[in-house]
Amino acid sequence: MAQRKVVPTGAKILAVVMVPMVAALNYVGGVLVELTKAPIWGDTWATILGTLISGFWVGAVGGFLYNIIMALTVWGLPAWVWGTANVLIAIITWFFIKMGWTDLKKPITIVMAVIFYGLLYPIYTTGLSIALFGGGPLWKPIPAAIYAATLASTGNFWLANYVQAISTEIPDKVISFVIALIIASRVPRRFVLGMRREEEVVAGGS
Amino acid sequence: MSTLGSRLLRTTIIGKDTPIHKLDPRTKFLYFFWISLLGYIFYDFVLTFIFLVVNLLLAVVGKVVRRILLTILVIIVPWIAIAAPILSLPLGFPWNETIIYRINLFGMELPVYQEGLGWAITWPLRIAVTISAALLFMLTTKLGEIIALFFKLRLPFRALYMIAAALQFIPLLADEVGTIYQAQLSRGLKTKASIVRRVFNFLALGIPLTLSAISKVQIRAIALESRGFSAPVEKTLMYELRFKSVDYVFFAAIIFFTGVLAYIYITMGYSPIVRLRYLFG
Amino acid sequence: MGEDSVVIRFENFSYSYPDTPNVLVDINLKVEKGEALGIIGPNGAGKSTLCKAMNGLVPHFYGGYINGRVIVAGMDTLEHTVAELSTKVGLVFQEPENQLSGLALTVEEEVGFGLAMLGYPREEIKDRVREALEKVGLSGLEERSPFELSGGQQQRLAIATVLAMKPEIIVLDEPVSLLDPIGKREVFEAVKELKKTGSTLVIAEHEIEELAYIADRVIALNEGRIVMEGEVDQVLADVEGLRKITVEAPSVAQLTHILRERAGLEVNHYPIRLEEAVKLYEEVLRK
Ligand SMILES: Nc1ncnc2c1ncn2[C@@H]1O[C@H](COP(=O)(O)OP(=O)(O)OP(=O)(O)O)[C@@H](O)[C@H]1O
Ligand SMILES: [Mg+2]
Repeated sequence: MAQRKVVPTGAKILAVVMVPMVAALNYVGGVLVELTKAPIWGDTWATILGTLISGFWVGAVGGFLYNIIMALTVWGLPAWVWGTANVLIAIITWFFIKMGWTDLKKPITIVMAVIFYGLLYPIYTTGLSIALFGGGPLWKPIPAAIYAATLASTGNFWLANYVQAISTEIPDKVISFVIALIIASRVPRRFVLGMRREEEVVAGGS
Repeated sequence: MSTLGSRLLRTTIIGKDTPIHKLDPRTKFLYFFWISLLGYIFYDFVLTFIFLVVNLLLAVVGKVVRRILLTILVIIVPWIAIAAPILSLPLGFPWNETIIYRINLFGMELPVYQEGLGWAITWPLRIAVTISAALLFMLTTKLGEIIALFFKLRLPFRALYMIAAALQFIPLLADEVGTIYQAQLSRGLKTKASIVRRVFNFLALGIPLTLSAISKVQIRAIALESRGFSAPVEKTLMYELRFKSVDYVFFAAIIFFTGVLAYIYITMGYSPIVRLRYLFG
Repeated sequence: MGEDSVVIRFENFSYSYPDTPNVLVDINLKVEKGEALGIIGPNGAGKSTLCKAMNGLVPHFYGGYINGRVIVAGMDTLEHTVAELSTKVGLVFQEPENQLSGLALTVEEEVGFGLAMLGYPREEIKDRVREALEKVGLSGLEERSPFELSGGQQQRLAIATVLAMKPEIIVLDEPVSLLDPIGKREVFEAVKELKKTGSTLVIAEHEIEELAYIADRVIALNEGRIVMEGEVDQVLADVEGLRKITVEAPSVAQLTHILRERAGLEVNHYPIRLEEAVKLYEEVLRK
């Protein structure tokens, strides 16, 4: 009898299970940060990682779901809107995959990460945080001082919020991105293949 | 390893027997939605504070007030403490106009503005209302009821599964982090270290965590598939929901106060007591 | 027995994962109704893959390349989805915790999960759940969280979830390998109960001593091929043959083999179970 090729149906259900796993990884990212004192918030690395190993939809929905869970459990209802910011992170990551900016040995990867995650992404989150939480200084001393200084020198409320945001987002998002790339490169190829058959395998360095 | 989050998720499963716990999850979800929305409709810190007190009173009835109060204090107090002085002084907030008070700071006389101060108090209170509403719902509703709620709300089954599985993966992964952390500590992971070192420490925990998470995903997916998850039929829900008389009392109260607040909004506007001016509204 | 008593039939079946070729090669196998088939073989021999080929996970879930066909309960696995096959074949996996659904909050819901996925009415689910829990000795734990159970209980729960579907075949892939000794014993007891009630069982197992009590027939896999096949007493007693594929025969068989080689013990058949060995050596000593 002739050999037959069978198209896998597993990718769909793997995605259904991977999405909550991405959300949960974002959540326990907070625990990891607590333990290691790593200089990040710890709540987007899994969105990036999920996009790298399982494709755009898993990363985006998983990141979004994380914010839904947070809104339902701790942060309060309006916080679900932050989920759209996590979707934006997944979009940026997907774009990076398409552009090939996923190789940590190339300087362009970091340059683009600073531009996209560090400078462009906060434009969106600044708008959100003003609409949802009123903007103003963060309840951390250094960003709050940056806010106050920018406002004092420019008198522009939006700009002050934006500068405050990039002062935290550049380190947070760039480091999270690097962390996600390194972890993705350690995931066995079989798992990456199983979920993202349609796209090229991303491996930062391997 | 047990963080606030994972502890929170675990204890939601343990049911207490208070009137709030007995409410149908649909009722509680409606209330959660309603009061969060009210917090955003009015821009008036006295009224917002009243909403917060109502949430806390319900939390007292539901025997969950300590947890909620603690969470709110941790988040709201430092926020007001930093935001209020910055925003209410000149240069801290571009819309400052109305001087309500003058204080003496290091020999300088500084004006305190109503716009900035109102903003710095109202916003954290708003957030306190939404957070306490969310916690009130989560801490008094069993996971099974939440699943049943979303099922009744006609959420697609896959989405329902994702929410439930996330809530269930979180404590599982948190435990795993604890185990990995202990293992890495005994292999010489140092917690007091430079910034770069700390990023490496994150990786030392994050890599094994991710690998184990992914293998969990594989096995779980296979198990689900083997048990008919993908069957294209309407699923049966094992958990039944039924409205009780407390629910109707609650509904009546919500409708009544919606009417009262709508009347207040129409006749007196969004800031009926403090009379603040909304800034980009 | 007639042809319609055959519930599983592999016909010249070969399979390659998308990235691992020839994991199963030219498998021909029949399992009769009510029979208990043991599958042994070294790590990576393809035991799990063979188990997964029985409920359609192989090839549907993974994709890949196949030759030949597998007929289970009269259905060609290539032409039916895994969900359709789930009422015919129930699979129990190694990992106690990860094979839980994650959606069910109580033992009762967990056992009913598969039926709920297929849209069975609630009353019927409840009845079947009660029955299944009784069979594995978990009655009374209906309201517990599945995550609070011990490994052995979770594994019996996994068996109950399969039983509730009333499948024609139950396939267990190393169900005890991750359990402590107590858990192992609990699960084996449950499996033996199933065998008594005449279920068709397929069990891949490294615990060869226990397999001796459960299996009627055994196949040995090596590098994806069936290299030994026969009655349990014959295959497990083949100490040399098993050693060639790095599988250890039951210790009583090995002992007898050594005694025969070194001390010239005269036996025509090696025992594979303790009781048989006791009987044999009582006779030998009496002589
Ligand atoms: N999902 C997969 N994708 C690709 N190759 C796989 C996959 N699962 C298993 N394999 C390969 O198929 C072969 C047989 O694996 P299988 O798990 O069936 O062996 P096994 O006999 O069950 O081993 P063990 O005793 O370790 O459980 C191995 O070479 C393995 O690497
Ligand atoms: Mg195996």
